[in-house]
Amino acid sequence: MVNLTIDGKQISVSKAATIYEAAQEAGIHIPVLCYAKKLLPYGACRVCLVEIEQMKGRLIPSCTTPVSEGMVVTTTSEEIKKVRKTVMEFLLVNHVLDCPVCDKGGECDLQDLAYELDSTSNRFEGEKFDLPTDEVNPLIERNMNRCVLCGKCVRVCDEIVGYGSYSFINRGFETKIATAYDRGLNCEFCGQCLSMCPVGALLPRPFKFKARPWQLKEVDSVCGYCGNGCTVTLGVLGDRVETIRFNDKIGVNDGNLCIRGRFGYSYVNDQERLTKPLVRKDGVLVETDWDEALQVVSDGLLKAQGGQGVGFLSGARLTNEEFYLLKQFAKTVGTENVDHSGGECYKGVTEGLKQTLGVAASTATFPQIDKADVILAIRSDFYETHPVVGMVVNQAIRRNDAKLLIVADKKGKLNKLPGAKTLLSKPGLELDVLNAMAKVILDEGLAQTEGVEGVAEFQASLANFTPEKVAARSGVDAEALQAAARQLASAKQGVVLLAYGLPYQGLNKELATAAANLAILTGIPGREGGGLYLCGEKSNSQGAIDLGILPQNGGLGAQAMLAGASNGKLDALYVVSEDPLSSYPDRDKVAQALEKVPFLVVQDIFLSPTAQLADVVLPAVSFAEKDGTFTNAERRIQRVRPGIPSPGEARSDGAIFSALAGKLGNNLSFTSAAAIFTEIGKDVPAYAAIGFNELGAHGKVWGGETLSPASRKLVAVGGGTTVEGEFQLVVGSALYHSGTVSTKAKGPLAVLSEAYAELGREDAKDLNVAEGDLLKISGNGAEIKLKAKVDNRLPKGVVFVPYHFADAEVNRLYKGEPAVSVKISK
Amino acid sequence: MFKEFAKGLSITFKHLLPGHSTTVQYPTVKLKPSERFRGLHRLVPSQDREKCVACYLCPTVCPAKCITVESAENEKGEKYPKVYKIDMLRCIFCGYCVEACPVEAIEMTAEYELANYNREDFEFTKQRLLK
Repeated sequence: MVNLTIDGKQISVSKAATIYEAAQEAGIHIPVLCYAKKLLPYGACRVCLVEIEQMKGRLIPSCTTPVSEGMVVTTTSEEIKKVRKTVMEFLLVNHVLDCPVCDKGGECDLQDLAYELDSTSNRFEGEKFDLPTDEVNPLIERNMNRCVLCGKCVRVCDEIVGYGSYSFINRGFETKIATAYDRGLNCEFCGQCLSMCPVGALLPRPFKFKARPWQLKEVDSVCGYCGNGCTVTLGVLGDRVETIRFNDKIGVNDGNLCIRGRFGYSYVNDQERLTKPLVRKDGVLVETDWDEALQVVSDGLLKAQGGQGVGFLSGARLTNEEFYLLKQFAKTVGTENVDHSGGECYKGVTEGLKQTLGVAASTATFPQIDKADVILAIRSDFYETHPVVGMVVNQAIRRNDAKLLIVADKKGKLNKLPGAKTLLSKPGLELDVLNAMAKVILDEGLAQTEGVEGVAEFQASLANFTPEKVAARSGVDAEALQAAARQLASAKQGVVLLAYGLPYQGLNKELATAAANLAILTGIPGREGGGLYLCGEKSNSQGAIDLGILPQNGGLGAQAMLAGASNGKLDALYVVSEDPLSSYPDRDKVAQALEKVPFLVVQDIFLSPTAQLADVVLPAVSFAEKDGTFTNAERRIQRVRPGIPSPGEARSDGAIFSALAGKLGNNLSFTSAAAIFTEIGKDVPAYAAIGFNELGAHGKVWGGETLSPASRKLVAVGGGTTVEGEFQLVVGSALYHSGTVSTKAKGPLAVLSEAYAELGREDAKDLNVAEGDLLKISGNGAEIKLKAKVDNRLPKGVVFVPYHFADAEVNRLYKGEPAVSVKISK
Repeated sequence: MFKEFAKGLSITFKHLLPGHSTTVQYPTVKLKPSERFRGLHRLVPSQDREKCVACYLCPTVCPAKCITVESAENEKGEKYPKVYKIDMLRCIFCGYCVEACPVEAIEMTAEYELANYNREDFEFTKQRLLK
């Protein structure tokens, strides 16, 4: 700690603090433009100048100067004010004063500063810039005439996102921020830059001229897309969500968002949303009222339960409270057939982690990744499924010199991070690589085996996984593999990352088990700092597992339900917030089940392909209209708050379950989400310790920041298998989308509007394929046509297809395997 | 004392004579209000559109909350008021909107005959205000 005096106030702060941070801690205001809490000090704007007793004679920028013992700082005096005002005059020489039409007006740092410093005139004259604005890209409007060259966009894109879109070009008065070759922006479109911009140089294009900031009602909620659980602050005007506001005060994401979170909100305002219940009459879905729809549903379910039974298939984007009501409703109907997300993809957590660590969740929280020294990412897709955790990984590397190891079948954003070491294996053989790493650690005596069960059996099972053998099979370099294993074993704060979701069903349980084995051998789970993270694809994947939306007590799982529905063993299917026809593997199987099942109820916000087959469609509501909690992939329970009223007669999933249960004689009525949350505590012990009203700004993590594993048991897993054939197709998540719902959101659609088949350059050259050519891809007895995308991400022989787009029918090829052998022709 | 009475009354009687009245025969005769009179608003036109840039300062400053603005982007990429309405029944003619306007797009005219028969007729849309 260092003692110093600021404006006569004695302060004691950490020696790493700058004068600005010290002043902030003491509640002393110093104006700034280029400073941001999450970025490294830069000192571009010179607005934060202060006087230091020991350095009299000149003024010192407070945001870049570290504190030192006995420093005496003055932050306001006539002279300082005069100098700051002059700095403002310099800044305003070129800045166009188009505040009336600039969307930043009202929350513009420069505007506030001009007001604060009373800058009403300018002694200097200079040319105002008249640069063309970048309106080529659909999401980020760049108007460099308003830029004050604070460099925040450059820094955030580099330090946090790790993309590096921007840089300063030219010199002197001509200096400006530009992309490579000063072309239009073509990046991840995460919009971090526009959230940082202190002026109106970078603005969200979808929000252009929509409203003034002071007109918006701000509602803090949690993003409805992935399991990262970022706080999104909805900017609500009337009954529409018009934008997502910047908020770094609360939540886990430090104000960082990805394209889905920042620009993927428009589907909640969509005109196509279901507003009335639909019931099939004479083969056509017709609008009806709730009374009739609920009657038809309850009659249908009762009849089915009297016959072969009912199955509930849920998505993973319901709130915890709704999951609870779903479970109670299923009990009321009298069935144990309840499952979510295709039933297979989460088995890494419920079975893989359960059998090794005895817990069914990630063992640590996301902020701990920031301080890790070695990070192992299994599958490069982690950045694509959970971009904001990917940004934390980037910060760990850049700020704290963490070493990143990647075991994957293709390259991705993570591979581009500095110093990333990639073990690129054939699709399906990542498992062998993990086993080989475990073998190296055990054989070289680097393993931490104290208190670990099953070491001998495990070691014996690894005979076939020597680095050399695995290298020969998988194409990974044996020495690199050994080096990676040693590095992971030497980690003081190690992190293992693995994402799961509908497109990652193949070997999911085995991969999670192998990852857990590796983590146990390197002492990762349960140790302070770092941990094993298994992150769900959807916003409440973890909540679904915690609340037991799983086949229990002999109930059928999702796949068994679909099979049952096809061969007459199930008389009704109730699908909630999910579009199995578009997103589950094996479309034919799903289609058959949905067509054959005698009674199909679909509860969703859009008339999805699945809903079009239903007997009854019930209009549900989006995350922006719900009250309750989500549990993110690090076990953090956070509040979801309603920002807008629901369109038409749409009701929340929870309200529908309550109403239906009431019709069946079980009065599931609760006064509020808080009351249901208390009930959840009775069923789920981990939730009992947490009060709904105590969730606060950062939520509450159940099981503590570091979850101690209940057991440390090594479980042998066999190797993976590769598929033969010229091309191996792997499906997965694209960065711009999440699940199928983002294909209804204008922002993500504007960047990626249709499915594609991605090929490496070598393959493209061999096939004589150029970007945009239509390819025929056949395999697994089906053929689909997709446009080609060519880049250098994929090794030879691997084709990647994103799974989000319903009309691409990718799941006709993909049936849940790690890779599909396909033929490609033009 | 009598003298004073006579003096005073003479002034009174003088005013009763024709040509000394301050009232006028409205509506056949109309007074010209002062230049600073705050009557009906007018949106100032420029060459091809209204001068207003839809900055939202007038609805923000309006103490009676009688101004509704909705901005949009025109073909040239400029910001313009797609909707501009004043609810004259709510307006208190304070003139803050004129004062707040950064582009001098709104002014107050000498028009004070605002009575009407229907509630809807008190809603002054952009077209009416541009006249």
